[in-house]
Amino acid sequence: MRPPKLADPTMLSVDAISVKRGQATTLNNVSFTLGAGKTLAVVGESGAGKSTLIAAILGLVKCASGHVAWAGSPVSQCRPTLVMQEPRSAFNPRLPLEHAIREPLKAKKIALDTARLKSLCERLDIAPDLLARRPSEISIGQAQRMGILRALIAAPPLVLFDEPLSALDAVTQKRTAQMIADLQSQQQFAALIVTHDLGYAAAFADHIAVLRAGQIEEYAPAESFIEAPQTAYGHALRDAAFALGALERAA
Amino acid sequence: MRSVWAVAMLLVSLSLLGPLLAPYDPTAIGLANRLSGPSGDNLLGTDALGRDILSRLLHGARWSLGLAFVISVLGLIIGTLAGVLAAQGGKVVDWSVMRVTDTFLAFPELIAAVVIAGVLGAGTGSLVFALTVTGWMRYARVARGIGLSLQTRGYVVQARLAGVSMASIAWWHYLPSLLPSLVVVWTGMFARAILGISALGFLGFGVQPPTPEWGTMLLDARIHMRSTPLQMIWPGLTVVFCVLAINLAGDTLRDALAQEEKQL
Amino acid sequence: MIRVMLGLGARAAVVLAGTAFATFALLWHAPGDPALAIALARFDAQVPPEVVEQIRAQAGLNAGFWSAFQAWIGPLLTGDFGRSSVTGREIWPDLVTAASYTFPLALAGLAIGLALSIPLAIIATRRPGGWLDRGAVALASLGAAIPTYWLGLLLILLFAVQLGWLPAMGARTPVHIVLPALTLGLGVAASLTRILRSGILEARSQAFLPAFRRRGVTPNDIERAHVAPHAAVPVVTVIGLELAFLLEGAVILEVIFARPGLGTFLVNAISTRDFPAVQAVVIVAAVIFVCVNLLIDLIYRVLDPRIGEHDA
Repeated sequence: MRPPKLADPTMLSVDAISVKRGQATTLNNVSFTLGAGKTLAVVGESGAGKSTLIAAILGLVKCASGHVAWAGSPVSQCRPTLVMQEPRSAFNPRLPLEHAIREPLKAKKIALDTARLKSLCERLDIAPDLLARRPSEISIGQAQRMGILRALIAAPPLVLFDEPLSALDAVTQKRTAQMIADLQSQQQFAALIVTHDLGYAAAFADHIAVLRAGQIEEYAPAESFIEAPQTAYGHALRDAAFALGALERAA
Repeated sequence: MRSVWAVAMLLVSLSLLGPLLAPYDPTAIGLANRLSGPSGDNLLGTDALGRDILSRLLHGARWSLGLAFVISVLGLIIGTLAGVLAAQGGKVVDWSVMRVTDTFLAFPELIAAVVIAGVLGAGTGSLVFALTVTGWMRYARVARGIGLSLQTRGYVVQARLAGVSMASIAWWHYLPSLLPSLVVVWTGMFARAILGISALGFLGFGVQPPTPEWGTMLLDARIHMRSTPLQMIWPGLTVVFCVLAINLAGDTLRDALAQEEKQL
Repeated sequence: MIRVMLGLGARAAVVLAGTAFATFALLWHAPGDPALAIALARFDAQVPPEVVEQIRAQAGLNAGFWSAFQAWIGPLLTGDFGRSSVTGREIWPDLVTAASYTFPLALAGLAIGLALSIPLAIIATRRPGGWLDRGAVALASLGAAIPTYWLGLLLILLFAVQLGWLPAMGARTPVHIVLPALTLGLGVAASLTRILRSGILEARSQAFLPAFRRRGVTPNDIERAHVAPHAAVPVVTVIGLELAFLLEGAVILEVIFARPGLGTFLVNAISTRDFPAVQAVVIVAAVIFVCVNLLIDLIYRVLDPRIGEHDA
C-alpha cells in the first residue's frame, strides 16, 4: 500500500485504476483526487465507463490494477454512500422507507440522531409521514430526495451521485440540484457526481473530468473547462451541450 | 385463495382431530371380526387382524400428514439456507453449494430415500432423515435463482454498501422476496412427502407396524387383495385425496402470488 | 460448443464422484455389524464368532474408512464392481441381467406415456377451455396425485384378479410386461399431458403466428412448422424429468409385480445388507441418470441456442 501523495488527510485518491470486463478494458489508468467539501463532476457519453468508475470506487467491481483510498486507508472504511439513478429501485418495495433510512445507522451500531433526521428532512422538503410509506406510494422526486436523505443520514465524508437528476423532470431537477449543493456546503462532504448533463456539471462542480472510452480525456476546473476546453473532444462535448441548451431555450 | 385456506384447515384438523374422531382404538385386535366388509359397526370394514380401518385411517393422518409436514418444512429450511448462501457467498461458495445440490439431484429422490432409509434401518427417524436429505434441493435452486437476481437490485447494493451484515440482508431483503415462491415449492414438496412416506411404508422401510400409516396399511392390505379388495382402496383413496387437494391449493396459490407480484 | 461439453462433462464427473463418496459414507456408518449381517444372510443360523471375524477380514471391513474407500473405488474405476458379500457371486453379470428387465419396462412405460399424452394434449388444445381440455387437465391432475404403487395394485385388481385378462406376477412371458408398463405409462402420461398442453398453448400465442396467418399460411402448416418445434423443447426437458419417475416407478413396480430387475435387486440387497451390491446399483443408476441428463442438456441447447448462456 502506497502512502497518500498529498498532505491533505481527508481526500479521495483514485490512483491509476484499470478495470477489465472479460477481454475489454472498461477503465484504463484513471487517476484523480477529490478533497472534502469539493465537487467533482465526471462527464462523458454513455458507455464511457462512468458507472464502472463508481462501482470501482465503491469496491463493487475489482480493479485489475491501481487502488482507491480515502485519507490513506481503503475507501470502504469511510463507508461512502451512493445516490442512484433510479430512485425507487434503491428501496425495497416491500418495506417502509424508514427501514432504508435506519439501515446504515444499524450497520454502524449508532442510534438515530432525531435532530439530524429532522433538519435533513426539512432541507430536503420531506414530510415526516412519508417515512412510513412504501416506495410505490411516493413520487419519483420524493424518492430521489429520500435517496439523498439515506445517503447523508450517517454523515459520510464521501457521497457518490450516479446521474442523480436524469430520472426527474426539469423543474424537480433544478430544485434537487440546488438542495444537493446547499447540503454539501453545510455538511462539507466530498461529492463525486457522474452525469451526462454538462450544464449541471458546469453550474455546481468545482472540477470537471471528461471520461472517454475508459480514460480521462481532460481534467480541469469547471470555469476554465467551459471557457476553453483543452482537447478536441472536450470542445465537441461543450459545443454540443451549448447547442442543445440553445435549442431548448429556443423551444 | 379461499379454497387454499379450506384445504389447509381440512388437513390441519384431519391430523389434529382425526384421532379424536376415530370410533375405535386403531391397534385393538379383534380376531373374531377379521377382514369384514363395511358395516354399521365398522364403516370401512376391518383388516386382517380385525382392526377398524376407519380408525386406522384417522389415526394414520397424524403420521402421514404430520411427518410430511415436518419433512417438507425441514427441507424448506435447509434448502433456503443453502440457496441464500450460494447467492450471497460469491463464486466459490456458489459453485460448491450448487455442485452438492447437483449431486443430490443426480439421483432419483425416491430411490435415494429407499437406500438411505433401508440402510439406516426401518423406523420413523430413518424415514424422516431419508426424505429430508433427498428433499431440499428444489428449494435451494429456487432460492439461489431469485437470490442471484436480487443481488444487483438497488436496495441490496445499498445495504451492502452501508455494511449491513449478510444475515441481516438475507432476513430483510431476501426472505420476503423468496417466501412466496418457496411456499409454492413447499406445497409441491408437501404432496411429494406424503407420497414418499407412503411409498417407503409400502416397501416396508417406513413407519413400522402396528403404528397406522397409510402406506403401511396398503402393504398389509395387498396380501388380501383377492378376498377383500376394498381394504386396499381406502388408504390409497385417502392419499390421492390429500395429494390432489394440496396440489390444487398450490396451483391456486401460485396464480394468486403471480398476480400479486405483477402489482408490486 | 466443445467448451460447453467439457464443462458439462466436468460437472457430471464431480456429481458422480460425490454420489460415490456419499453412498460409501452412508454404508460405512450404517448401524449394526455388517460382518454379522453377512454371516446371518449367508448361513441363516447361529454363526460362530470366528466365522464372523473371517468374513470381516475377507470383506475388508477391518481397514479404516479411507483405505476401504480406496479399495472399493479403485477397481470400480476399471469397471470391476466386486462380489456380493452374501452370495459371493460377481455383481456385474447379475446387474446386467437385472437391467435387461428394467430397461424394457422403463422404455415401454415412456412409449405408452408418449402415445397417450401427445394425442390427448393435441385434442385438448383444439379448443382451450372447452370440456375436452378441462377433462384432460383434470385427468392429468388426478394422475399426478395417484401413487404409482397404488395404481399398480388397482390395475392388478382389475385386469388380473377380476377380469383375468393379463398375468400380474413375475416375468415369464413378454405379456407379463403389459401391466407394469401400463401403470408406469399412465403416470408418465399424466405429467406429460400437462406440460405438452401448456407448451402448445404457449407456442401458439407467439407473436409471429398471426403474421403468418395473414399471409395465407394454412393453420396446419403453422402447427407443423412452428408450433411443434416450440412445444418440443419442454417435452425434451420433461423426458429428462420423467427419467427419475421412470426409474423410481420401475423400482416400486418390480416389487409389486414380483418382476426381476434393478428395483428387486436393490431392495433385496438392502434387506440382506449386501452392501457391495447396494453400492453397485446406486452407482449404475447414477451413471445412467447423469448421462441421460447430459444428453438432454445437449439436445436442449441444440433446440434452443439461447439456453445455457446464463448458467455458467
